[in-house]
Amino acid sequence: MAAFEPVDTRTPALGWVLSLVLIACVTLAGETLAAHGNDADISMLYLIPVIYAGTRHGLGTGLTTGLFAALAYDFLFVAPLYSFAIADPSHVVSMVILIGTAVVCSHLGGQVRRQARLAQANADRNGALAGFARMLMGINRRADLWPLLAREIARLLDVRTVVLAPDPPDEGGRRLVVKAAVPMRAGLDLIDGVAARWAFDTARPTGPGSDSMAVSEWYFQPVCGGNVAHAVLGVAREDAGMPLGGEQMPLLASLLDQAGLALARIAAEEDMVALGKVQERDRLRAALLSSIGHDLRTPLTTVLGMLRAIRPETEGQRAQLDIARGEAERLDRFVANLIDMVRIETGGLERALEPVDLNEAVAAALDDLRRVLGGHRLVVEVPRDLPLVLADPVLLHHCLINLVDNAAKYGGADGTVTVRARPAGEGLALAVIDEGPGIRPGEELRVFGMFTRLEGSDRSGGTGLGLAIVKGFAQAMGMEVAAANRSSSNQAQGSRGAVFTLLIPPENLRRVDSAT
Amino acid sequence: MREAVRVLVIDDEAPIRAILRDALEQAGYRVIEAGDATAALAAAREETPQVVLLDLGLPDRDGLDLIAPLRKAGATVLVVSARDATAQKVAALDRGADDYVTKPFDTDEVLARVRTALRHRASPDMLAAALRFDDVEIDLAARVVRKGAAEVHLAPKEFALLAELAANAGKVVTHAHLLRTIWGPGHETDVEYLRVAARGIRRKLEGETDTPSRIRNEPGVGYRLAVAIGG
Repeated sequence: MAAFEPVDTRTPALGWVLSLVLIACVTLAGETLAAHGNDADISMLYLIPVIYAGTRHGLGTGLTTGLFAALAYDFLFVAPLYSFAIADPSHVVSMVILIGTAVVCSHLGGQVRRQARLAQANADRNGALAGFARMLMGINRRADLWPLLAREIARLLDVRTVVLAPDPPDEGGRRLVVKAAVPMRAGLDLIDGVAARWAFDTARPTGPGSDSMAVSEWYFQPVCGGNVAHAVLGVAREDAGMPLGGEQMPLLASLLDQAGLALARIAAEEDMVALGKVQERDRLRAALLSSIGHDLRTPLTTVLGMLRAIRPETEGQRAQLDIARGEAERLDRFVANLIDMVRIETGGLERALEPVDLNEAVAAALDDLRRVLGGHRLVVEVPRDLPLVLADPVLLHHCLINLVDNAAKYGGADGTVTVRARPAGEGLALAVIDEGPGIRPGEELRVFGMFTRLEGSDRSGGTGLGLAIVKGFAQAMGMEVAAANRSSSNQAQGSRGAVFTLLIPPENLRRVDSAT
Repeated sequence: MREAVRVLVIDDEAPIRAILRDALEQAGYRVIEAGDATAALAAAREETPQVVLLDLGLPDRDGLDLIAPLRKAGATVLVVSARDATAQKVAALDRGADDYVTKPFDTDEVLARVRTALRHRASPDMLAAALRFDDVEIDLAARVVRKGAAEVHLAPKEFALLAELAANAGKVVTHAHLLRTIWGPGHETDVEYLRVAARGIRRKLEGETDTPSRIRNEPGVGYRLAVAIGG
């Protein structure tokens, strides 16, 4: 409480009574002094109730007390005694002083009281804000914020409150839903709803006392956190009167600012939680990846190792063994592709570009695929004086393996697979050409999608991942991919088959002086 | 009778060890098995194997950390590594591994690697002196390369590269090692030099043939002169 106790202006009767009691006391004291023959300064005694009433109880009480004091003095102490008549004009001055003192004191007292009231109001407001801020600290979810907001503002401003927020919260919300209300039943009508909506959409107050929607019973103010309205707070009086007095506005604004800060904090915390979930998901994916890598590949390695170690005794056994090996190797490539695809999808591709000789790259890929290519005729047309290509050697290796594997798979059992590199514009085009059924018109882009298989007569299976991996890896190295049919190119009129091309832009080329 | 060569197989997967044991024993080696790093180090001390086949994914320790102690125990280390683990392969070679085999492996390939390793153990100097493959003869001492009867004139860096690969015939040699040895420290990442030199050697030595080059590139790792030198 403030040091200066404020006046309770609503009970002036108390001031009257106290003032009269004081006048009586002073009168008694004056009588006692007069009895001892000292009557000179008795008028001064009456200053006590006058100053008291003036300073403590305002002008009205002060003036009345001054009048009563003057009259009491006149009646009891001024000759002629026991009459309101005044014989000596100097006593008139005393009475005027009493009344004048009342006026001056009440004025001074009024100022002090006003300042005190202001200080008290400030202290109350700060106390309310501090208390509110403390409560907000404990809130970690929006859902917990709304009831607190409704309850505390209703208590602090002595109003009815309602909190509306979009539901669900993330969609900017066409629909505002009552999240909390004090008392429990908000009782909003259509106009109130429109006013709330308007306050939310414009992030400005609506309702009585604002610029817009003054016909609404409720006064709505947006609850903003980080420049965005998250909710709307409505206030109304029980008696349907003006919701807020002018002096309550700053408090409400401060309270809503506090709530806005809390909202921003909660949003930041929610972001952290969301980030944590993403990290958790990535961890899970990584765990799955390593699980596939280890738990699936380890037994596969054993199977492949066993199959390769077996020495067949008859031609029939050799044929069976070859099939078993081929299938096991296909499974192994599938697992490898699966792992590669997850790496592309999760953005976990690490690439280290270095100058690569396409001759070497193609040779290494064909060497890895020598079993798969068993029945196919192989034509390699890679000039030895091509520029070096800036590429990640491992990613490029996988691109080539997948392209050649794809050509072997769809190119017919004994078709020719051609690997051809040649300048294309400023860059290079590395094409893998098969003699299969080709690509259906319009499918040229789709074939690089995940789990897309070429439509055609010969579909010897596959994961549908190979070409998607080629595209993902190529793009990671700054290259592009294209698919077409042979018949559409000039060099191969009338012949069947698909052409898959790795387009290497000039930025990825390193011209070298071959005369070392 | 000569005592059989001892090969220590380190892998936490028993079936893999079984495959390697079968293949190695059929080839006449004595096989010691270890399922983890602790057992491997103990076996290396007690049995002093000449060759170690080391799987890098061990339950109790990173296989890379075993390379140094195994070499100290006198063994030639061959790493068994997953296909995509390029960085791991290079790290293993940097730490002194002799070569690697990619999983899933071909037992014939494993045996060839073991033979190459033993050959290099037996006669490092003699091997470096002269090497013949196809119709090519490399005389390192005389610094002469012949194709058929004709002498082939290689540029100095080309010869240096061919000589380094010939000295390690059959084994992979990392890009960084080649660049450091031939071009000097500070050039470890200038892979471009290597590509150009390799291209020059191929052009002069192999011409425009369709057969795969003997100077084989292992993507992201290094070069290998792909010749069989095992007996």
